[in-house]
Amino acid sequence: MTMWDGLLSGLSVALQPAVLIYSLFGVFLGTLVGVLPGIGAMAAISLLLPLTYYISAEAALVMLAGVYYGAQYGGAVASILLRLPGTPQSAITTLDGYPMARQGRAGIALFTAMVSSFAGSILGIIVLVVLAGWLAGLATRFGAAEYAAMMVLGLVAASTVGSGRPAKSMAMVVLGLILGCVGTDVNSGAQRFTFGQTQLMDGINLVALAMGLFGVAEVIGNIRSADSHGRPRRIGLRELVPSRADLRQMPGPILRGTALGSFFGALPGTGSTISSFLSYALERRVSRRPERFGQGAVEGVAGPESANNAASITAFVPTLTLGIPGDPIMALMLGALVIHGIQPGPMMLDARPEMFWGLVISFGIGNLFLLILNLPLIGMWVSILRIPFRWLYPAIIVFVCLGVYSVRGATFDIVMVAGIGAIGYLLTLAKFSPALLLLGFVLGPMIETNLRRALLISRGDPMVFLERPIACGFVLVTAALILMAVVKALRHTRQPA
Amino acid sequence: MPGTFSRSLAAIATATLMTGAAAAQDWPTGPVHVIVGFPAGSSPDTIARLIAEPLAERLGQPVVVENKPGAGGVIGVQQMLAGRAGHTFGATINGPLTTSPRLVPDVSYNVAEDIAPVALVATSPLVLAVAADAEADDLEGFLELARGGDLAYGSVGQGSGAHLTAELFANAAGIEMLHVPFQSYAEVTTSIMGREIDAGFMAPSAAMPQVEAGQMKMLGVTSTEPFPQVPDVPVMAGTAGLPEDFRAELWNAFIAPAATDPAVIDRLNTEINEILEDPQVQERLLSMGWQAAPGTTEELAARIADDTEVWGAVIDQIEAN
Repeated sequence: MTMWDGLLSGLSVALQPAVLIYSLFGVFLGTLVGVLPGIGAMAAISLLLPLTYYISAEAALVMLAGVYYGAQYGGAVASILLRLPGTPQSAITTLDGYPMARQGRAGIALFTAMVSSFAGSILGIIVLVVLAGWLAGLATRFGAAEYAAMMVLGLVAASTVGSGRPAKSMAMVVLGLILGCVGTDVNSGAQRFTFGQTQLMDGINLVALAMGLFGVAEVIGNIRSADSHGRPRRIGLRELVPSRADLRQMPGPILRGTALGSFFGALPGTGSTISSFLSYALERRVSRRPERFGQGAVEGVAGPESANNAASITAFVPTLTLGIPGDPIMALMLGALVIHGIQPGPMMLDARPEMFWGLVISFGIGNLFLLILNLPLIGMWVSILRIPFRWLYPAIIVFVCLGVYSVRGATFDIVMVAGIGAIGYLLTLAKFSPALLLLGFVLGPMIETNLRRALLISRGDPMVFLERPIACGFVLVTAALILMAVVKALRHTRQPA
Repeated sequence: MPGTFSRSLAAIATATLMTGAAAAQDWPTGPVHVIVGFPAGSSPDTIARLIAEPLAERLGQPVVVENKPGAGGVIGVQQMLAGRAGHTFGATINGPLTTSPRLVPDVSYNVAEDIAPVALVATSPLVLAVAADAEADDLEGFLELARGGDLAYGSVGQGSGAHLTAELFANAAGIEMLHVPFQSYAEVTTSIMGREIDAGFMAPSAAMPQVEAGQMKMLGVTSTEPFPQVPDVPVMAGTAGLPEDFRAELWNAFIAPAATDPAVIDRLNTEINEILEDPQVQERLLSMGWQAAPGTTEELAARIADDTEVWGAVIDQIEAN
């Protein structure tokens, strides 16, 4: 079966009325849970899973996938308007999206996020169709050594994300790395920093950390200044349209973000949170005026939002073509297929081509739905800001608690989010960047596990990082980056003298 | 007056039996909660839901499956014990009842004292999987390779079924292999296919897709009988010098807090066993890689005790090294 036959058979599946309706329902629900802080795709898909027993496998998967990528759209909304990331993936969008909103450019920021999300998704679908075979091969070519080297590069490259002083940035990354150590050590099985709490054995809950650092901390911060906030006035459709200058700044970040997102999405275990952080770091690096970042740069919204959407599309590559889920949500979708007696894997493209292509085409349709759904809604989202704080913030706290609880049904995590929120507030007061803490937290455990695994497999020989060509490439680029930073720092110190 | 004493004892016993029987007849008086220590969509969750649905019909009350994932299923058991006995039950894999108390510090329960076995639901063996282009074509070839060089195998974590099974196997076969812990079968699979590690004991359903695609092969299965999902894979026991009784199985079971009325447990055991007789349920289980395994509560209790001993010995061995 050629690709075109496949696409045709996929069309016949994706255009079935029932499948279309489930797709629409999925993306709508996805947007909604994405907007609500803390409640993410994971919780929604878990709740929908029992329902999928009663509908066809195609409709089930199309719906669940819609929730998954729909949440990426919604996640940006609260990040931009309230500095509360709807999902951990969109935490980075707060850095420039929120300043834009404060400058009265909330509509434009939302427009940018939506269009970048759409472009990232559509380009991601094209990448998926054209490069599915190559992307599937990536998963087996990347061993522990490659992952470790790549994540170190990511950490070094992204540690410029914060706009504060380098020492403060370093401190946050290191704190993130330390928090990432909490839980069972994969290699030895030892318990680290769990203090006798079985709830800490699987580590600190990422959603609790992100919601505490950004969401709760922001709410606490606003209690002090609630009255001084000017309420945004109603925004007309015309004010959503970005200026020519804004538009000109978008294509580059979108293309780079899509490339990063497509790559990381296809690698099991990495994914949309990491790709959105790295996209932000990349944009800052390639920008001619990096000082604009953190002050409301359009690129700081466009890049990460296209990256996390592209990643959410290509994440289906290892899941469907290898039967290897890249993250817990993908594992959940794999479970949904297994319930229907379909075993995703290398045989799926041959055995159920209409399923695979039907899903791919439904991505396109679903994203079109999302764009049509979301653009007119921007005005409504912005009007959320007109809700008095005394109503809005208690509601947000309720949603955060619900969302954090929904991850694994643990009241312990609600206590955690409150504590992390208090710490997060203190960090903001002292002008530390919580984004960097989150970055260290996400990358740290991956670096550690893969570094130790690579050395275990090589029987302790560190040359493994130089002997394997892909790993060696990452090591060289990392070295070059560090060298550049050192040279730059030396020049700076020489100038005053 | 021994006569009076035994008579009154008999009276008390009859009274207790009667109230017990009466309570069991009314049971359940409200929704029945089944706590699963794994996330939605995982195999223990899917199995629990597969049973919960017909169970709700039979009991005439809703059966609510609640996911309390964490600590390899231990949190699920702890949450079950915090619930109302009689209306709160647990669905769990073998780990939290057999090896976790040894491996996980801070386990707050004692299996023998706090937990009443209800019914075994399904069992699954593990298969020894290697890359399709691996030099060994059968178990003997694999052992020869293992004796010749240092092979590395992957598992889904320290103390996981995959890890302990591999150590039990290595011990029985008199070989030594390097253990590389991963977090999921997905990671183990990619690592084997990328020829980073040599082998892994895996759930048959986790290995099947790659085997069908000609990217992996299965050299043996750890059950004592051929497993229906992979009927062509030879049984390990008795081959290549392994003992006749070599067996390693994962299982899923329903459990209850020890305070649960025995009559209620009997009723639940009967219902679950009847559900497991349904060919459709058996087929669904098999498609996920599990074989229905109905039995008495005593048989489940014996299995818990046996496995605790077998795996305890393996853990002793690992700790000694």
